Amino acid sequence: MATTLATTRSERPVFTLEQKLGATWPNLHACEQATDEAIDRLRAAVGRLSTEDTSVVLYGSLARREFTADSDADWSLLVDGIADPQHLDSSLEIGRRIAGIPIKQPGREGTFGQLTFSHDLIHYIGGEDDTNANTTRRMLLLLESVPVGGADAYDRVLRNVLERYLSEDYGWVHGRNPRGVPRFLQNDIARYWRTMAVDFAYKQRQRGGEGWALRSTKLRLSRKLIFASGLLMCFSCALDSAVASLTAGSPSRVQTIIEHLWKLSRRPPIDLLAETFLLHDGLNGVAVDMFGAYDDFLGLLSDAEARSRLATLSYADAATDETYELVRRLGHRFQQGLTRLFFEEDATGIPELTRIYGVF
Amino acid sequence: MFKIGFSTGALAKGDIAHGIEMARELGLAIIELSALRLREMDTLVNVVAAQDFADFEYVALHAPASFDPSDEKAVVDTFAALAHSNRWPVIVHPDTISNFELWRPFESLLYVENMDKRKPRGRRVEELEDIFTYVPNAQMCFDIAHAKQVDSSMTEAFRILRNFRDRIRHLHISEVGSDSRHRQVSDGAFRAYNEVASSIPCDLPAVLESVVSESEAPLADASSELKRVTEFLAHAAHVQSSVRTPVSS
Repeated sequence: MATTLATTRSERPVFTLEQKLGATWPNLHACEQATDEAIDRLRAAVGRLSTEDTSVVLYGSLARREFTADSDADWSLLVDGIADPQHLDSSLEIGRRIAGIPIKQPGREGTFGQLTFSHDLIHYIGGEDDTNANTTRRMLLLLESVPVGGADAYDRVLRNVLERYLSEDYGWVHGRNPRGVPRFLQNDIARYWRTMAVDFAYKQRQRGGEGWALRSTKLRLSRKLIFASGLLMCFSCALDSAVASLTAGSPSRVQTIIEHLWKLSRRPPIDLLAETFLLHDGLNGVAVDMFGAYDDFLGLLSDAEARSRLATLSYADAATDETYELVRRLGHRFQQGLTRLFFEEDATGIPELTRIYGVF
Repeated sequence: MFKIGFSTGALAKGDIAHGIEMARELGLAIIELSALRLREMDTLVNVVAAQDFADFEYVALHAPASFDPSDEKAVVDTFAALAHSNRWPVIVHPDTISNFELWRPFESLLYVENMDKRKPRGRRVEELEDIFTYVPNAQMCFDIAHAKQVDSSMTEAFRILRNFRDRIRHLHISEVGSDSRHRQVSDGAFRAYNEVASSIPCDLPAVLESVVSESEAPLADASSELKRVTEFLAHAAHVQSSVRTPVSS
């Protein structure tokens, strides 16, 4: 069963923003089209392998709706039910079927392309058992994931993860948190962003520099995007009047905000950013540049030659490489937009929240 | 103070007359006459014809949980006769309905129940909304155990309670395990149910589907279950009557 949360292209806030600004973001449109086609193929291939206890979940560019010809199909079979040896068979079958369609398999880390168990995601938040892979799977479930086929297990796990972040946040539950932003959740999203940044340096060393420029490109843009959208998701608990009005002790507050965050989790991260920009005309100028930079970034990833150049670029050549110089400029334009949004445009209420929650 | 009763199926499986007898022994004013298997329909008709239900404040009927589409007309005819003559509501599992036209004449006596996770429809808000487009005047039976099995975070239960607040007329309370069988409510399930305590319509008839028919002391177990559910509803009513004051930062 698919929950009716999907939006059509014309309903996506990023395209509403494009229209409002009179901008043209052709690469976002091309990626939207490519994502639709890829998800349709994947749904046809593996959608029926989900059950009431399992969901086939896609992550990364497919969930961000930024799929390009060279993107990986990051997937997992999310299990939320009694143990069943057949779960592994289903997972292997998904891998076989995806291998049979012209889409790249998941990356080499082994985080995806296999079974993921709800117990680990729900119970191991923090502590030694919350491994790097577990944190990644949980955070990407929250920040950039989409089910194909049955969504029962997917929605159940997502909501239970959110339930843990909210109901175990003492300050949030008891109204000791100044603006009602869920700190436990926000801290974990911030931790994940820092982990990605640190792991960038780790992989750079482990792989002897192989692929570092492409990873740097993604860190500057798409990885940073999901951190920013995660922050906005948390800040929305203070900024969205429907949920911000629910003070500690309000009946159904936890369930109302789980539902609110669950709906945000099911949307592409760039749409969460675009919705914020749509609300504030003072950000129009910076929005043109920031979203334009993101569109150019997607164009770069769609360009086989540029992508190949980034995948093979050495440190020694980076300083004089035109493609990498373009990446740096795109990263700076994107960052300028985020700086304006999170630190400068006080009318949005966001800089105040960044001061309260963003660092300490 | 709460309108709590039992389903005859939970008390005595297909032995409807015995279930009614047990309900009387327990002093219940609320009863649901269930013919969960198609073959129990004749028994139900005969029991209703033979008994006087004046000592019950509220009686509801439960249609079979599974039947072939070719039997649907017979099911509808049987329950229509019982429902309309007595003004008793009929609880139906929406996944059993093949032809909504047949069920529409029940109007507000038709109570659509939210389903457990094995069922293809009727589990979640969006699926229920779809069903009510076919039977717009139908009301709803909210089964908290089904809702928990579909979504253990209880968010779906919360959404159903909120979105169908004006349709819900009847509650089912029990626990459903991973095998989808109804059983007595564990402490863990009550903890989960407390997540939506503020949204439970405590004034509605609450029918227990906690199966005691297979226990060694069914009456004692039924009595114990009634006590525990009464405590749960009392807690829910208390939550609803008192809004906690936020602690200052």
